[in-house]
Amino acid sequence: MGLMFWWLLPLAVVAAAAVGVAAFRAGTRGSARRRPAAHADRLTLLPEYQAAVRRYRRWLAIAGLACASLLVSSAVAAARPVDVTTIRPEQHNRDIMLCLDASGSMSSADAAVVEAYAELARKFDGERIGLAIFDSTAIQVFPLTDDYDYVQEQLQQARDAFDGKPGSSGFLDGTWSGRGSSLIGDGLASCLNSFPSPDTADGGAPSAPQRSRSVVLATDNLLSGEPIMTLAEAAQLAAGRSVRVYALNPADLDYGAGAGQPGAQLRSAAESTSGAYYALDNPDAIAGIVSAVEETETAAIKGAPRAVVSDEPAVPLAAALVSGLVLCTALWRLRI
Amino acid sequence: MASLLLRVKSKMAIFAHRKARGLLDGEYGSVFRGRSLDFDDLRAYVPGDEVRDIDWKASARHGSPLIKRYVAVRRQTLLLLTDTGRNMAAISRTGEPKKDIAVMALGVMGYLAHRHGDVVGLVSGDSVRTRFIPAKGGEAHLERLLRQVHGDAGAGVAPSRLEDQLDHVARTVKGRNLLFVVADEIAATPAMAGLLRRLRAQHEILWLTVRDADLAPSQPGPGGAVADFYSVADYVFLPAHLAQSDTVVAAYTKGIAERDAARKAMLRQAGITEGDVAGSQGVVTALFALLERHRRAG
Repeated sequence: MGLMFWWLLPLAVVAAAAVGVAAFRAGTRGSARRRPAAHADRLTLLPEYQAAVRRYRRWLAIAGLACASLLVSSAVAAARPVDVTTIRPEQHNRDIMLCLDASGSMSSADAAVVEAYAELARKFDGERIGLAIFDSTAIQVFPLTDDYDYVQEQLQQARDAFDGKPGSSGFLDGTWSGRGSSLIGDGLASCLNSFPSPDTADGGAPSAPQRSRSVVLATDNLLSGEPIMTLAEAAQLAAGRSVRVYALNPADLDYGAGAGQPGAQLRSAAESTSGAYYALDNPDAIAGIVSAVEETETAAIKGAPRAVVSDEPAVPLAAALVSGLVLCTALWRLRI
Repeated sequence: MASLLLRVKSKMAIFAHRKARGLLDGEYGSVFRGRSLDFDDLRAYVPGDEVRDIDWKASARHGSPLIKRYVAVRRQTLLLLTDTGRNMAAISRTGEPKKDIAVMALGVMGYLAHRHGDVVGLVSGDSVRTRFIPAKGGEAHLERLLRQVHGDAGAGVAPSRLEDQLDHVARTVKGRNLLFVVADEIAATPAMAGLLRRLRAQHEILWLTVRDADLAPSQPGPGGAVADFYSVADYVFLPAHLAQSDTVVAAYTKGIAERDAARKAMLRQAGITEGDVAGSQGVVTALFALLERHRRAG
């Protein structure tokens, strides 16, 4: 607890003393208006008058105390009492890339996927989150950021686009280049490139610790076209960069037990990166992804210590208010 | 400073025009007569003269009442006695300084005595000292006495103590004198009563009380404003609004009535004629009434 304008206090003391001296001088001059009376004991010896004088003195004392308290508390409030605290903001060193398949086969599930993403984003705290969507080519909707308000705003826009609200038609622009559709391997690889490259991690600070990286990939793995990289190759790339891929499949249909089935391919790709595979309608999906991502924390990064100065005017201002009210009551009682 | 005696004379002149010329002289002469059996001459009757002094035969011849005058064998001594302590610097009921009222009353009385051919002396003072100016005749002497009173009384002098002046008279003044006391609303005490009885045995005493300021007026004065007082004795501040509550006013009124009754009873028991006066406007009337009452009583 400190005072920002501490020099106001001596100034207030000097001003109060000057006013007091002036008032005292005026008071001694003011006695000229009082008229002399003899045999004052006619009045002063009356018990009724003595009681009135005692009451008067009591209210006078209360008024004096309230006045002094009002002066002190308002001077203290004017001197701006501040609380200086040092905080070290803690940052979680996890990056999560949300990777959304925007192909035609997913169009019925995209809104639900974005809803799941929004729920994921609400549960994370301190992590950086980015969003990329892909069809035949991938575009980054927003890069890795910890501005969650912005994240929610962008996810809201994505939801509007997938719900087909008017004015949001441009959201998917640039995801289709005619080389096919649902090029999942290419999309995953593009998402992997959204992470900062290892040699320039965290803006090139060489001492910054490595952040854990995860991709939440929502796709039905229904490929149509010739991708540059297959899903398996992309998964291999992810494993090589120690990125975990968590797959969310909105169309977890039973295509059979074969290893070539889309769901099974996706599962094996996710698990090859030490990630996990969930059906979108699985109630454990969100919680599982969150807990799995949180387990990957290597070390919390302590931010640089910051001094936070906050005003604490409540106590002196409340005291000044109470003193003012008491002073008003006392003055009313004194009929001044 | 303008002559104090001049102010006294002009006040008396106003009064005399209103009533009758020489009325006060007649009253004074009737009260303090130093009569002998040696007839001097006759003069016209003025109201207030003793009826038994009328020369009925001469009046019948003359057609209007005539008064027999005798050669005064005894010059009387009028001893003025007043307080010049701090109390006299306070204000009276009408707001004038009590000192001015006292000077006016002493002046009127002294001037009457002077016109009657009596000599006038003064005893005045406060709790520290008592001054005595021996009796002499003449207007210049009277003016000196009045200036003494006017100059002594003030806010910076010692507190009042009228007992000291009365005691001084009792101890030092010989012979029978006329004693004219101008005091304020003193409290009746057994010591004072004893002293007054002792003085009354020797002197003839007239007592004029100057009414003190009303410290708890039952209704506010002109303008609705109530003035604050301070006590001249100890400079204690007396806030006016504290004395304005009904209980205080009631208690004060009762206390003042009791105090006045006690003082009047004390003076009456001592055989002293008392009158009171609130302001300098009422001085001549009050003195006239006082002399009239004393004549009837005595």
